[in-house]
Amino acid sequence: MKNVRKLMLAAGSIGILALALSGQALAAGPTCAGGTIKVGAVSTVTGPIDFSEVPKATQAAFDQINAAGGVNGCKIDYTISDDKADPQVAAQAARDLIDNKEVVAIVGGASLLECAVNGPTYKRKNVLDIPGVGVDAACFNSPNIAPVNAGPFTMTTAVSYFGARSLNVKKLCAVIGIIGGTDEAYKTALSNWEKITGQKLHMIDLSMTPGGDLTPYVIKVRDAGCDAVVTNHIEPGVVQWIKTADAQKVTGISWLFLSPAYTEQVAKALADTNQPVYASVEWEPFTEPNSEANKGWLASMNAAKRPLTAFSQGGYLAAQVFVEVLKKIDGPVTRGTVTSALLTMQPIGVALNGSAWVFGSGATHSPMQATKVVKLDHGTWKIATPSWVVLPPL
Amino acid sequence: MNGLLTSAVAGLTAGGAYGLLGVCAVFTYRLVAVVNFTSAAIGTAGTFVLVVLNEAGIPLFPAVLCGLVAGVIAGVAIGLVMTKWFAESNASTKAAVTVALLVGIVAIGLRLTGGQHPHHFPDLFSGSAMRLAGVELTISSLLTIGLGVAFTILADVLLSRTRMGLHLRALSERPMAAELIGVPVQFLSILVWGITGAVTAFSLMIIAPQRSPDFMSLSLLVVPALAAALIGLFRSFWMTLIGGILIGVVEGMTSVIGGLNQYRGAVPFLIILAVMLWLQRGARWDEAR
Repeated sequence: MKNVRKLMLAAGSIGILALALSGQALAAGPTCAGGTIKVGAVSTVTGPIDFSEVPKATQAAFDQINAAGGVNGCKIDYTISDDKADPQVAAQAARDLIDNKEVVAIVGGASLLECAVNGPTYKRKNVLDIPGVGVDAACFNSPNIAPVNAGPFTMTTAVSYFGARSLNVKKLCAVIGIIGGTDEAYKTALSNWEKITGQKLHMIDLSMTPGGDLTPYVIKVRDAGCDAVVTNHIEPGVVQWIKTADAQKVTGISWLFLSPAYTEQVAKALADTNQPVYASVEWEPFTEPNSEANKGWLASMNAAKRPLTAFSQGGYLAAQVFVEVLKKIDGPVTRGTVTSALLTMQPIGVALNGSAWVFGSGATHSPMQATKVVKLDHGTWKIATPSWVVLPPL
Repeated sequence: MNGLLTSAVAGLTAGGAYGLLGVCAVFTYRLVAVVNFTSAAIGTAGTFVLVVLNEAGIPLFPAVLCGLVAGVIAGVAIGLVMTKWFAESNASTKAAVTVALLVGIVAIGLRLTGGQHPHHFPDLFSGSAMRLAGVELTISSLLTIGLGVAFTILADVLLSRTRMGLHLRALSERPMAAELIGVPVQFLSILVWGITGAVTAFSLMIIAPQRSPDFMSLSLLVVPALAAALIGLFRSFWMTLIGGILIGVVEGMTSVIGGLNQYRGAVPFLIILAVMLWLQRGARWDEAR
């Protein structure tokens, strides 16, 4: 009898516990102490390059979500820290965000060196980083960082793949400028292209330095008989390269650039050229205002009066995927629960890119594997691939 | 061998630019005793005035004139800083001041011109002049070298054959003594700064369309230009011009030599080191020190 009573007591306790738990389950969704979720970004704002467009777009997206009531009632408190392209400042900014501001994650940054400098810190502190635009190689090479862009290395493979597949390129040449320790990453990207297409690179040159004269390189690829050249110039370099090709009267070579080429300023500066100039883009081309995929981003940026650029797409997308993950958290939103949610999440379909984005528990992350390619046409960029060019798995 | 010749000719475009800017640097040094790190930045400022006005729809000729005036104003402004506050300082202090000014000008210039976003640089002299060893030598490239030669001859004549040149040399070597014997030091110095401002602005207007069209890259052309001036030991205009062209040619050639091409940027400096050592070969240690 005594045993039966004990059993009933135990059953009752379990029942109460179950009820309590189910009560919590009924209140499903993220909760937050003080009504805010603190999030930060480390970005290069002052310094040689201004990437502030990226986190400002993230800010605009968060502001819009906050104005609509927040994430399950929690407002996102977003801090943008400037790393001034200085490693010490970048490290200090990350420590300040993590230790003093107590952010739950780093979202929407874009920096020349933040990933390389702060990757180890994020690992030690168990913080995850979702850059709006991953710039340096370390952004794609850390267990704690997963950018929402494909980045220069995957893009090198993708635009070369487009060349082989759509332009019937047989002699692909690569002229790559190496900054920092990116040579291995570019070599891997090109060797991935060889594996995917079964072709061999016709010529590779990794000696280009920024700002130097490009005439010898243009002559070199012309004399090597390349029928397409993939190169990683940023905006001014793209203009210089094509002007040099025009000055040297080069014909019959398709020029394959990465996403930094895809700006309206480059198109205008090269309005006079007849060279076949292509650029791979990270997200749905921003110069297509009627595209369905751009709808959400356009509305958000127009509401916040932010510029409509590829950079702002990155910042916006980082905010979107982060909020999607937040919504799936049941219970308090802390650094621990956010990290755990990102590590165990299912891939999220992203309208702005042909791939699904996922953080996951891999040792490195490069979730975006798709591109669209645009072609220069007398001062404007026109879409060369209406559907996404998705890299086949290796 | 053919490839080497082709790439050497390909380097002429850059070499002409280095030579011309190098001659401007020697001109400034010999006349106002300043190793001027801001020279290319002054020219770049003038060039961007041309570009911005041209983009705004102003015809090329008046835009070029405004650009030249901007180059003169920028040159005179730097000149005023140097002559008002650092006239009595030694050469290394003056050089350090111009480095600081260069950093400031580049930072402001990048902000005002949209950072890395490129602009449309109109070709003042478009088209190809001739084809040599498979390389199109553009009119601009040849004009750059031609301007270098013209400026070299003019500077040589001015300094060695005219009374004004004599005053300018006095001003550079003994400014105090020059002032005491009645040379209008302040006026002449500012005149030199103004002239070099106009010349570098015009040079950059020709060079810029073939270079990376952003404020920083163009301003940093001063580095190979000063390297060329070093080959001329900051004295000889001709050696500077030849040195500049040589640096461009060697840069071009190294871009096709496997193994060496990764160190392309460093090769000119090895040449300079070799030239310096050669020129110092007769000096004893104590003298050279």
